[in-house]
Amino acid sequence: MSEKTLNEKLGQGVGFERIRRITGYLVGTMDKWNDAKRSEERDRVKHSLSM
Amino acid sequence: MILSVTKRDGRVVLYDANKIAAAILKAMEATGEGDASDAARVANAVQRTLEKNVTEDAPGIETIQDTVEAQLMNHGFNATAKAYILYRANRTRAREANTSLMHTIDEITQVDAKASDLKRDNANIDGNTAMGSMLQIGAAGAKAYNEMYLLRAEHAKAFREGYIYIHDFDFYSLTTTCTQIDILKLFHGGFSTGHGYLREPQSIQSYAALAAIAIQSNQNDQHGGQSIPNFDYGMAEGVGKTYHRTYLHTLTDIVEDLADKEDAILTVEQALSEAERTMGETASLENKPGFDEAVADEIAARFPELAGHDLAAMMSRVRKRSFKLTDHETFQAMEGFVHNLNTMHSRAGAQTPFSSINYGTDTSPEGRMAMRNILKALDAGLGHGETCIFPIHIFKVKEGVNYNPEDPNYDLFRLSCKVSAKRLFPNFVFLDAPYNLQYYKPGHPESEVATMGCRTRVMGNVYDPDRQISYSRGNLSFSSINLVRLALESDGNEELFYDKLDHYLELVSQQLLDRFEIQASKHVYNFPFLMGQGIWLDSDKLALTDTIREVLKHGTLSIGFIGLAETLTALYGKHHGESEEAQKKGLEIIGHMRDFCDRKSKEMKMNFTLLATPAEGLSGKFIRQDQQRFGKLKGITDREYYTNSFHIPVWFPISAYEKIRLEGPYHALCNAGHISYVEMDGDTARNVEAFEQVVRWMHDCGVGYGSINHPVDRDPVCGYVGVIGDVCPRCGRREGQSIPPEMVAKLKKMYPEMPAFQGIR
Repeated sequence: MSEKTLNEKLGQGVGFERIRRITGYLVGTMDKWNDAKRSEERDRVKHSLSM
Repeated sequence: MILSVTKRDGRVVLYDANKIAAAILKAMEATGEGDASDAARVANAVQRTLEKNVTEDAPGIETIQDTVEAQLMNHGFNATAKAYILYRANRTRAREANTSLMHTIDEITQVDAKASDLKRDNANIDGNTAMGSMLQIGAAGAKAYNEMYLLRAEHAKAFREGYIYIHDFDFYSLTTTCTQIDILKLFHGGFSTGHGYLREPQSIQSYAALAAIAIQSNQNDQHGGQSIPNFDYGMAEGVGKTYHRTYLHTLTDIVEDLADKEDAILTVEQALSEAERTMGETASLENKPGFDEAVADEIAARFPELAGHDLAAMMSRVRKRSFKLTDHETFQAMEGFVHNLNTMHSRAGAQTPFSSINYGTDTSPEGRMAMRNILKALDAGLGHGETCIFPIHIFKVKEGVNYNPEDPNYDLFRLSCKVSAKRLFPNFVFLDAPYNLQYYKPGHPESEVATMGCRTRVMGNVYDPDRQISYSRGNLSFSSINLVRLALESDGNEELFYDKLDHYLELVSQQLLDRFEIQASKHVYNFPFLMGQGIWLDSDKLALTDTIREVLKHGTLSIGFIGLAETLTALYGKHHGESEEAQKKGLEIIGHMRDFCDRKSKEMKMNFTLLATPAEGLSGKFIRQDQQRFGKLKGITDREYYTNSFHIPVWFPISAYEKIRLEGPYHALCNAGHISYVEMDGDTARNVEAFEQVVRWMHDCGVGYGSINHPVDRDPVCGYVGVIGDVCPRCGRREGQSIPPEMVAKLKKMYPEMPAFQGIR
C-alpha cells in the first residue's frame, strides 16, 4: 500500500475502547464481558446529584 | 430367544446371561441380601421376561436394566433393587458429565471467544489464547471431577439446579481465595519466590519491583485477588532508603566540587554517620532542626579546604536536590510498578495478577511521597495514556488523618478524588464506619480495614480474638444463595421463604465446611509462597510438612447472595428503591442471614461471614435457570441478569444521594465484603467538588467501600481519553472509520508520540 493510501485509511476498522467497572474492578474493553454483564452495563442509568 | 444386545454406542454384541447374573450378584453382595444361586434365579427371570415382552431382535441396555430392577423387586430383593437403581443413576450422571465435558472442551477449542459466552465468564482471561484455553480446559475437567467425587449429593443437586453457586469451583480441591500481603514483614530479611532468593530491597525502585513480584508469586498459590494492605507504609521505607542514599551522594558530589577533590565518598559517609550518631537521627525527608548543621560541622572538620565556603547554603542545596531526585526516582518506581502489574503474567500467561493496593493513612513524608507519586502514575496512564486496569487502588478515608481540610493527608484525599474522576480509581474505603472504627487503633495500620479484589474484607476473628486485623488474612471460600429462586418458590409466603432460606444457609455452611476439610488437609509445601514465606498469619510457625488446618482458621468462610431487589419484588411487589417498607424487609432478610453467620461462627469457632457477592459470571446464570422454570416475570426475571447483591437495580432512576442512603445500612451487615457505586456522567464526574461531595455522602451514610462510575473512553488511533459519543472529539472519526484526511497532518504535529502518526510524512 502506498503511503498516501495508508494515511487515508488511518483508523479504518479500529473501534473505540470503552473502559467500565465490571464489579469492583475495571475491564479494558467490553469485548470480553459475558452477555449478562454486557446487558447490565447497557441498562445502567446515571444518578442525578439532586437531593 | 434373545441372541444379541444393542449397546449405548449402537454396537450390537452377543447376549450373555452370565454378565447379567454377575451384575446382580455384585449388587446383592453390596447389600448382603443374596448369593450366586439367587443371582442366577433373578437373571433367568430377566431372560424369560425379555423373551416374552421384547419384540426387537437386539434389545437395548436400558431395557435390560429396567427388567433387572423389576425382577429384583418381584423376588423381594428390595434393598438390592434400590442399590442397583442408585448405581445406574450414578453411572448415568458420570456418562453425562463426560459427554458435557467433551462438549465444553470442544467449545473452548473451536469457538471464538466473541461467540462463546462460556469463554467470557471472567473478563480478565483471554479465552482466545493458547494458555487461556488450556486454563479453561483444565477448569472444565476439574469442575467435572469435583462435582462427581467431592460434593455431597444434596450439595451437587442444589448447585446443579441453581439454588446455590459454588464460586471458583475449578479450584475447589486445590487452594483458597485471597490474602492481604504484609509487604514489610515479607521484605524484612529478604524472601524467596520459590524460584530464587531475593535480598531485602534497598531503594524505592526495588521496593516497588519486589512488591509486584510478591503479588505475582502469591497469585500462583491462590485463585482470588492479591492485595497489599499497607502500600503507603511499605513504600515509605523504600523512599526513606533512597532518600538517605541520595542525600549522601548529593552531599559527596557538592563537597568534591567545592573542595576540588575526587573519591571523597568514604570520608563524607564517615561525617554523615558521626552526625547521625550524635543527633540520634538519620538523614530523612523530615528535616529535623539542627541535623544539617551537625552534618556541616562534621564535613568542615574533615575538609579544611572548605573553609570560607557558605556551608549552610551547601546543605540547603543538598536538601533541595535530594528531595527532587528522590521524588523523581519514586515516580519512576511507581510508574514501573503500575506498568508491571498491567503486563506481568500469571496463570501461565492467561492473565495479569488480580491486584489491589490500599493506602491513604501514612502521614510520614516518605509515605506521602509514595502516595503522591502512585497517584501521579495512575493519572498518567500507560504508555499511550491508556487507563490502567490493575492494580485496583483503594484510598483509606479516615477522619483526623485525611478527611477534613485540617487533616495532614487531606491534600492526598483531594488528589484521589481528582484522579478517580479521570481514571475510575482509587475506590474509597471508609474507616470511620462504626463497624470498621471498632477495630481501629491509631498507630496500628494492621487494624485498618483494607479490601482486596472487587470487595472482599477480613477483619473480625472469632478463632483468635486477639488478632482482629486485616494483614496476613483472607477469604478461604465462598458460595452464594439464589435468593430470588427461594422467593419465587415461596409465592409471596414470607414464612415459607424464611424456612427455605434457613435450609440453604445451613446447606451452604455445611458445604463450606466440607471444602474447608479438603483445604485444611493440605501442607505448607502445597503453598510455597503463601505458607512457605510466612505470608499467611502464623504460617511462619509451621514446618514444611505440617498441615495448614489451624492457621487457615484465621480466614473466612463466606455466604453470599444475589438479587435482593428481585427477591423483594417477588415477595412484596416492590424493591427497596421504590418503597421504605421494602427497604425494611430487605434489611430484615440480610440481617437474618448475618445473624445466621454470627451464630455459626460462635458454634464452630470459625469465621463465617456474609458477602455481598461480586457476581460477574453469576449475574446471568441463576436467572437463565429461573426463566426456564418461572417464565419472564415483570421486574423479577425479565432481564438478562439479576441485580448485584443488595444494590438498587441499575436501571432504576434514583438520585445518587438516595441510592447511597438506601445501600449504606447493608454494608454494616455484609461483613465479608460490600461495595456501592453511583453512575455519574462524564462532565459531572470531572467536577472535583461534586465528586468529593458524593464520596463524603458515602462516608456519612455508613458505606464501607464505594466508588464512582463514569464513562472513560479512548480512541486508540488519536490517543484521546475522555467521553466519546459517536464521534471522537479530537480526530473527528466515527467508530471503525478512518480519520478525515485533512485532520491527519494537523494531529501528527500535535501528537507526534502517538504510534498511529509515526511513519507518516
